Amino acid sequence: MTEGVDKPGALVPSGKGGGDPVVTVNSLTKRFGELVAVDDLTFSLHRGTVTGFLGPNGAGKTTTLRLLLGLAEPTAGVALVFGRRYRDLDSPARRVGAVLESSDLHPGRSGADHLRALAMAAEIPPARGAQVLALVELEAAARRRVRTYSLGMRQRLALAAALLGDPELLVLDEPANGLDPAGVHWLRRFLRGFAEQGGAVLVSSHMLAEAAQTVDDVVIIDRGRLLATGRLDELTERGGTLEDVFLELTGAAS
Amino acid sequence: MRMQLRAELFKLRSTRTALGLFAAMTGLVLLAVVLHSLLPAAALANRNNQLTILGRGEFLGALFAALLGALSVTAEIRHGTIRPTFRFTPRRDRVIAAKVLASVLIGAGFGLVAGTVAAAAGAAALRTRGIDVRLDSGDYVLLVAGSMAAAALWAAIGVGVGAIVRHQVPTVAGICAWLLFVEGLLAGDLVGLGDVFKFLPGSAATAISGQEPETLLAPAVALGLLAVYAAAAAVAGAFATSHRDVG
Repeated sequence: MTEGVDKPGALVPSGKGGGDPVVTVNSLTKRFGELVAVDDLTFSLHRGTVTGFLGPNGAGKTTTLRLLLGLAEPTAGVALVFGRRYRDLDSPARRVGAVLESSDLHPGRSGADHLRALAMAAEIPPARGAQVLALVELEAAARRRVRTYSLGMRQRLALAAALLGDPELLVLDEPANGLDPAGVHWLRRFLRGFAEQGGAVLVSSHMLAEAAQTVDDVVIIDRGRLLATGRLDELTERGGTLEDVFLELTGAAS
Repeated sequence: MRMQLRAELFKLRSTRTALGLFAAMTGLVLLAVVLHSLLPAAALANRNNQLTILGRGEFLGALFAALLGALSVTAEIRHGTIRPTFRFTPRRDRVIAAKVLASVLIGAGFGLVAGTVAAAAGAAALRTRGIDVRLDSGDYVLLVAGSMAAAALWAAIGVGVGAIVRHQVPTVAGICAWLLFVEGLLAGDLVGLGDVFKFLPGSAATAISGQEPETLLAPAVALGLLAVYAAAAAVAGAFATSHRDVG
């Protein structure tokens, strides 16, 4: 796992990854009036890797993910998944699964029905809903309305929805929020396994200690701009922790 | 598109929203008919007044169908489910089209029930007071069919308004205010617009079942006009949704 060390600053696929990038973000810019939320951002993502998307609150992480998922239009630049804009994918739910920061559930609908409505729209067999509910260990609460769920249960239901289409890419925005230690541990192992089977994961986080245990690669941004991208072990090879590197880069060390 | 329609119909029946709207509508139809049937007997004997009382279902069916359509969009925006919805179907015009179709179908059901309940309860109330009901079977058919059509088309208007306004409270308040007050004020000619009110979508809905024939449009004309409003609202809603970022 040391190839690529001679190319500092460039994102080099780890492990057995490689081939065409799963995600290509190139000179991506998003302005809201005067505010530049994402500023000329460039990075890419490869199969078989878990990439941490790190930055302080308000750095532009969520906006970048929304642009990637076709929920917002870039002001300039491109955000591509599998070489195409998200909206141009033939069946996006079967290629990309996503959990955004807000859990995006109707409180009056049951967990099973939430999955069923989404499965219908993508012509995914209803049995798949039961499978992913079992995977996130939510079968017992499946018929209950979401308003009775804890934050951790909502996160797990949102993850189940992301997995409905058996995607190759997972995009997760702060997925550890609301999970208990056992849940965090489960998520970490799950993401590892997902990447080892050839999938790619882009996971945003501000919990650096947790991220450091999970990710192969990092993309660090602040105020919409790229600060660093590359393999985690490269960035920390001078002896610091991810936290040290992050604080130094974001200028918050003092 | 068929997949999206199935999904939208399923969404409507997997929460209590549609059922709650349906129950409130039915209760209000009964209340409105009963209150109207307390009018003086001389007024109730008038055929046009009878049409108005037995046609109360049309207005309330249209109102609640519009709310159903509007909530199918604004509730998704409010709870954030619009994001997974658009991730699973990035063609947003298809999502809006499916919402329009689903709301039109369920809205027609609302109109059918509201129209039937109002006509049946109204006729029963008049007979209870010993007043001769001067409507024939053709009038009844027009009352119920008109109520169905008005509610179906207003459901589409609701989806369009919801997709344009996006926020739930202003959307619901706006639709209620428009149908309950604004058109009434304009019809009362307080603002000096003359006959313009009869071309407005609320008055057109009332006219479809042949109510107030002396002031409102003929049923067929009103049906065509309301269909134009519904199509315009749906297209505008799809356009707005496709060209704006999702929060």
